[in-house]
Amino acid sequence: MSETNNRIKWGMVIDLDRCTGCGACVTACQAENNVPLIDAKGFAQGRNLHWLRIERYWEGTFPHVRARFLPMLCQHCSDAPCEPVCPVYASYHNPEGLNGQVYNRCVGTRYCANNCPYAVRVFNFFNPEWPQPLDQQLSPDVSVRCRGVMEKCSFCIQRIRGAKETAKLENRSVADGEVQPACAQTCPPGVIVFGNLNDPDSHVARLARSPRRLRLLEDLGTEPSVIYLKGGGHEYVG
Amino acid sequence: MEILGVFGSIDQAVGAVDKLLDAGFEETRITTLSSVPIPEGALIDSGYRRRFHRWTLAGGVLGAILGFSLAAGTAWLYPVQTGDKPIIAIFPVGIVTYEMTMLLAIIGTLLGMLWEMGLPDIERHAYDSELADGLIGILVCTDQEESRQHAAELLTAAGALRLRTDEVPE
Amino acid sequence: MSTSAEAVRNAVRQNAEMLSSMERPRWRWYLLAFLLGAVVAFGLYAFTVQVTTGMVVTGINRPVMWGMYIINFVFWVGLSHSGTMVSAILRLSHAGWRRPILRGAEAMTVFSITVGGLFPLIHLGRNWVFYYMLPYPTQYGLWPNFRSPLLWDMMAINTYIIGSSIFLYVGMLPDLALVRDRSSSWKRLVFAALALGWRGTAQQWRAFAKASTMLAALIIPVAVSVHSIVAWDFAVTLVPGWHSTIFAPYFVIGAITSGVAVVITLMIIIRKAFRLEEYLTPLHFDNMGKLLLAVTLLWSYFYFADVLTTWYGHEPIEWEVFSFMASKYGVLLLIMLLGNTLLPIPLLCIKKVRRSIPAMLGITLMVNVAMFTERFLIIVPSLSHKNIPFVWGSYFPSWVELAITAAAFAGFALLYTLFSRFFPIVAVTDVREQTELLKAEHQLGRTRLDTLVEEE
Repeated sequence: MSETNNRIKWGMVIDLDRCTGCGACVTACQAENNVPLIDAKGFAQGRNLHWLRIERYWEGTFPHVRARFLPMLCQHCSDAPCEPVCPVYASYHNPEGLNGQVYNRCVGTRYCANNCPYAVRVFNFFNPEWPQPLDQQLSPDVSVRCRGVMEKCSFCIQRIRGAKETAKLENRSVADGEVQPACAQTCPPGVIVFGNLNDPDSHVARLARSPRRLRLLEDLGTEPSVIYLKGGGHEYVG
Repeated sequence: MEILGVFGSIDQAVGAVDKLLDAGFEETRITTLSSVPIPEGALIDSGYRRRFHRWTLAGGVLGAILGFSLAAGTAWLYPVQTGDKPIIAIFPVGIVTYEMTMLLAIIGTLLGMLWEMGLPDIERHAYDSELADGLIGILVCTDQEESRQHAAELLTAAGALRLRTDEVPE
Repeated sequence: MSTSAEAVRNAVRQNAEMLSSMERPRWRWYLLAFLLGAVVAFGLYAFTVQVTTGMVVTGINRPVMWGMYIINFVFWVGLSHSGTMVSAILRLSHAGWRRPILRGAEAMTVFSITVGGLFPLIHLGRNWVFYYMLPYPTQYGLWPNFRSPLLWDMMAINTYIIGSSIFLYVGMLPDLALVRDRSSSWKRLVFAALALGWRGTAQQWRAFAKASTMLAALIIPVAVSVHSIVAWDFAVTLVPGWHSTIFAPYFVIGAITSGVAVVITLMIIIRKAFRLEEYLTPLHFDNMGKLLLAVTLLWSYFYFADVLTTWYGHEPIEWEVFSFMASKYGVLLLIMLLGNTLLPIPLLCIKKVRRSIPAMLGITLMVNVAMFTERFLIIVPSLSHKNIPFVWGSYFPSWVELAITAAAFAGFALLYTLFSRFFPIVAVTDVREQTELLKAEHQLGRTRLDTLVEEE
């Protein structure tokens, strides 16, 4: 499906050279999107609900060990394997390149989670509860999902919609950098950059042309919209 | 109007059929009743020609149309983009069409078979419950009472264990 | 040929023997039904816990999002190929020894596909809105996604349930009339309604024979398509270890294997329970054993081909999945290979083993344990070790899933027990057709041959 230059294609660049693994993006995402909280026991059982996770890989042997951090989120693939397998169209492709998840349509077959090679989709195993006073900080722009529903990173679609509505009221197009997902907004070293990949002058499009660019599991042909920039140490040869 | 003669075995029933045919009864008005299928021609030629296959075919065609409408039609009417797959994708449409074709072909076969057999049959007929125990029945359909009486005499002469009719008992 | 009085006595005796399961049951039957019902009730309780609490009570986690329920689903759909293969294929190939086995196999098909078809509803996260998957125009203007293999599942299983029920019912029609003729009072009314007024005229028998053949010919492609579609649930994904073109035929063969094995098991049980030794002879088990030998050989061939290409190609992620399975679930892998290949194949080659009822019972139970294990080994290791190593995990079923699995087995057994009580479990008219009309002795030279007559 070719997209004209007039249409927006949302994309994200994550600079692995800058990532310190601090996890601020994870916390921001949880706060912005009403992601339920899981305790350590649930985590160990594989029930965690992180929309965005920091993957940590250890390289080398002692004493030359180093950790690599890989923020992993929904890649919003152009040829998403999770979309055709949903029997009820709860997972579908948005014209602006997002992989949408419709919570009130999801019946919970969990087929999409199986078919996601990045394993970024999470399932609500129980009805969420937020211990007080965290129940006061739920975002009104994002629905709270009940149990039995799949969810995942939405590129903060509520913020995208908000920016588009503001722009429409002011009779202009969305400016570069106007849409900031919670993770991009929060990241201290500026690892995450978000914008319109179809606009060649946008920050994200310029970064995406970097010689350090890399997409995960590219040989599977999923065509992700998240582009990583290689880095993380002087020994890394680009 | 029907008259049924119950016989102990096929060999005994053969005599009855011979007598009936000699007396001028048409073979199409005579049939056998049994609890196991008797090979064609052993007693009578049933004159059966299979016609239910038209129902099977009709069911298959209807199923193909229905399946295609479901898979391709609904996708065309209400398109939702998923992955890089086309809105009307050949393999899913083929599979769904195939399943509906087979389903309605099977249902068509059932309905066609029932129609050919004349079932469900709620009319009163000549019948004997002991046919279940291996007895053979020779059934003669007639239009007039005299023919029926004649057939009854022939069946009795051939050695029928008993006679049954489709008359309502007094 | 016996005299007519003797023939009638024989027929009466055969009717009584083959329909003996329908007589008034003794306390043992009631106890069995009660126990099975209790297990089913416990499974229902476990399911209620799951629906009210959430999927957290299962062992499902990220990344293993499909577990015991889908294993059950594949297993039960596989079992349902029993009736089709035994009844339809043997019917079309004019194998005379099929006659006593037909009804039991066809009933097994209907009940196992019913049990299997429940599992896609049980495993849903939001079972109460399962109807979103049904094709009807919703208020959003949304129909279900026919590109999803789960919808193909729904269509195929729906077709197969209806098709095999029709196949069972049509085959039973003359027998239902026979039972009607031997019953009295309210039972007679019920069976009269079910028999639809069947009288056994020559024309009805001819139509019956032709239609049975047609249905047999139609149900075989449906059966092949059903399990191929279940296989494509896995094969069309990008999950390493699943994305294999061999899956569809491999699953179909696996289904036939477990189906044939269950038919043999159930025939042994029925034979003992209803004293049908005269009708289910060692000859039948000999022939069924040969059939089982053929399909286990085929299964072994497909499995070998699948592992060979994985091993030789040595693609990192594909090989990782296989070696993970061999190391963590090595015991299960051994059980599967022993139960499906290494033990049955040499044993079934021996005629004495095939004709020995206890040996056949042992072998067929072993085959089905191995097949259930095989479903586990297909589903869980691949999901545990997908492409991203950070989210590798494992899976162990919880009490809820085990309870529902047990309830599935008990439910199947209960349905079968009830069916054999209220319906003829042996195809009476079919068997009697052979013994009364088609068996003959032929004097050839110095010997008398036992022959079976078959119309060209």
